[in-house]
Amino acid sequence: MNKLQFDVVVIGGGPAGMGAALKAQENGASVALVERNPRLGGILLQCIHSGFGLRLFKKELTGPEYAQRFINRLKDTGVKVFLSTMVLRITPDREVVCMNETGITVIHAKAVVLAMGCRERTRGEIKIPGDRCAGVMTAGQAQHYINIDNFCPGRRFVILGSGDIGLIMARRLSLEGMKVEGVYELMPYPNGLVRNLKNCLEDFGIPLHLSTTVSRVIGKNGRVSAVEVTKVDDRQRPLEGTSEIVPCDTLLLSVGLVPENELSLGAGVRLNPRTNGAAVDDSLQTSVPGVFSCGNVLHVHDLADNVTMEAERAGESAAAYAKGVRGESTADLKIHCEEPIGYTVPSVIRSREKTSVMFRVRRPCDRARLTVISAGEVLLRGKPRRYIPSIMEELILTPAVLQKAEGEITMKIESV
Amino acid sequence: MQQYDMIIIGGGITGCAIARELSKYRLKVALCEASADVAAGTTKANGGLIHAGDDPVPGTLKALLNSKGCLMYPVLSEKLGFRFQKKGSMVVGFDEKDLAVLKKLLERGRLNGAPDLELIGGDRIFDLEPETNRKAKYALYTPHTGMVDPFEVAIAFCENAVANGVRLYLSSPVTAIRRAEGGGFLVTIPKGEIAGRYVLNCAGVHADDVARLAGADEFTIRARHGDLLVMDKNCGIRDVMTLYPVPKPESKGVVLMNSVSGNILVGSTAVMMEKDDVASYRDGIEELISSANRLIEKLDTRKVIRTFAGNRAVVVGNNNDFYIRPSQKVEGLFHIAGIQSPGVASSPAIAAYAVQMLKAYGVPMVEKDDFIDTRTPPVDFSTLTAEEQDELIHKNPAYGRIVCRCECVTEGEIVDALRRNPRPTTVDAVKRRTRAGMGRCQGGFCQQKVLGIMARELGLSPTEISLGGADSQIVYSKLKEGC
Repeated sequence: MNKLQFDVVVIGGGPAGMGAALKAQENGASVALVERNPRLGGILLQCIHSGFGLRLFKKELTGPEYAQRFINRLKDTGVKVFLSTMVLRITPDREVVCMNETGITVIHAKAVVLAMGCRERTRGEIKIPGDRCAGVMTAGQAQHYINIDNFCPGRRFVILGSGDIGLIMARRLSLEGMKVEGVYELMPYPNGLVRNLKNCLEDFGIPLHLSTTVSRVIGKNGRVSAVEVTKVDDRQRPLEGTSEIVPCDTLLLSVGLVPENELSLGAGVRLNPRTNGAAVDDSLQTSVPGVFSCGNVLHVHDLADNVTMEAERAGESAAAYAKGVRGESTADLKIHCEEPIGYTVPSVIRSREKTSVMFRVRRPCDRARLTVISAGEVLLRGKPRRYIPSIMEELILTPAVLQKAEGEITMKIESV
Repeated sequence: MQQYDMIIIGGGITGCAIARELSKYRLKVALCEASADVAAGTTKANGGLIHAGDDPVPGTLKALLNSKGCLMYPVLSEKLGFRFQKKGSMVVGFDEKDLAVLKKLLERGRLNGAPDLELIGGDRIFDLEPETNRKAKYALYTPHTGMVDPFEVAIAFCENAVANGVRLYLSSPVTAIRRAEGGGFLVTIPKGEIAGRYVLNCAGVHADDVARLAGADEFTIRARHGDLLVMDKNCGIRDVMTLYPVPKPESKGVVLMNSVSGNILVGSTAVMMEKDDVASYRDGIEELISSANRLIEKLDTRKVIRTFAGNRAVVVGNNNDFYIRPSQKVEGLFHIAGIQSPGVASSPAIAAYAVQMLKAYGVPMVEKDDFIDTRTPPVDFSTLTAEEQDELIHKNPAYGRIVCRCECVTEGEIVDALRRNPRPTTVDAVKRRTRAGMGRCQGGFCQQKVLGIMARELGLSPTEISLGGADSQIVYSKLKEGC
């Protein structure tokens, strides 16, 4: 068995992993980047649509183009990239056990950055009853078949869920001459970005059915032949007598993403039940010292640019940790969020430096404002505006604000 | 035309166990299975419980074969290289009324000869299984209850049978059975007719249809449908003992068990339905969830990764017993029918019983002296130590390429599966042999890789490979030709 040692080991070579590795290296650490696929880029490689890089590069790039910028940068650094290499486990003392065609390698890391991304929720997870047949797949899987493998996974599609991948796929399928019968969304509001609703559905005349779900899969000779769709009430329960049969041969699911934290759990990392990602502080350090998390494994983002920026923060923190630089120790500030805010990342602040807090609302709020309170004192109050679940929000807390806070910060969004 | 001494119809666990048992004798045996793989019907839709024999009504065939079968498993597991785990089980009671039922169950179990049963109460319950609902007051503890993977067992039986000369016909539904001149039968499958001296009807829920094809309209089968669900291995609870609720008159109730691969399974419901309806139902799934939460309160049922369903074959008017006997109407035809729960636990004993039945009927049975008693199991990379994994990769780098990341299945294992006999030809058949696609992403990340490896190894285009046979192809065509 091979044994190696690095200051920072980054797990996952998608936008998060590449961003973290580059930044850690820039901060003077020796870095290993471990990617299970034969190429860097992660899911970006199958996202051949444009819309990446608007924030970071002020340009509209495709997924592979966005990834390539980081791949090129990595070539000029000393980051040691391991491709086709799977991490089997991470121990709490940061031994990263990997395997590839050359055998098992144990890499000892002074700091680890978790950047494994997320996976799509499946039919089993949302428990759609009916026949178990071919032709039910996640939107991302169909995207892989079409954009990477050059296969036609169906001819007539129904899409459940209005997440971005589902919307993007509705357009992609239409462009390839396949029929999309409609997109069905359980919630009374769409889940994808506004621009995707316009560009991917409206422009192609694909109907979006809100408050409607797929209640049954109907198969014939082993392949989907139709789905039953049913309207739901305001608590997402099926409404009797509203079912309809929609003939199709494929059901695509775009019903949410789940951070893939199986390795993190093995390392003893405590998860935040609200995000299914690690509970982290403002340096993106998890409950295990020296283990950091970023990107979609930490919480699901809507834009790759945000992933990159978050990853850079994790890379910088990991390099500092590896080099033994410890921030000034101050009392923890816990962030408590009230409904309709679903979660915040981080959930605790340790430094009193400028901190970016990412959060998301659980339901749309048409005119509402954000208030930040600590010890009975209002620290910040935002202007009234609209908040929707499909947009991740960022709140900047300045040192001046943080100095005034004590013990706990409460964030709330109130309708006005 | 191929001539056989025995034609077994139905490649579920019963047919496969019988095929293996018959392969010990100097007989030409054919096994016909309608699906593209063995174990693809009721067998695959089963939790894998090896009941200790405490439950069946004393004096029934079920009671006899269940207790015997359960005791045969440890040795078979060694010989055939499939996983068998003795987990023990508890029937969990909450009040005095339940206690009265538990006492009756204890009595019944002792009558059946099930060893080491114990009626326990209080803290002993939580010592044995700390996750049990804290409101539990009494339990019937059965230490010998085991777990297997039912398709792993059926495939092991089948591979061993094939190694001993049994001819397997897959994708071979029997469409006609007629008398041959000079005795015996001519059985029609898509390949044509095959001839057999005797026919063993192991056709599960369709055993009555097969009997009728042979002219033996002598019993009717109804299907008792059951929904099951599979939990993520990381659902917060691991390695639990099998837990039963106190049974109701109509059913043993929903059981919570830990599969040999480490997933909690919950199942199954019991509702009479159409024979071919193996869809899962919303109310069934809801019943599973509420029943599971009664046994283990903190089970997080949002961590379900899969629901599935299957049908048990119930012979009408047979008191829920197995129906194993020579046909009263057609000479040379034998029914091994009505194999409902605990069919998996009973299957080795059913096979031995079937052989006794044939001998009693006067079928000449001479043992072979070259029977291969053991089977080398395939490599399971995920269970090896890091040193063993390293060594394996050095011998063959294909073991260094992970295909299914959820279940840690390597390309080497997929290729191994594709080179075994019988050879799996569908994505589901590969899944049942390797676990590729059985994890939390349900094949979302690995199905395309499996498809690629299968295409390469089988010399086919991915468009020709199906999920589970018939029209279940996964990809229809190339999107653009020329690339």
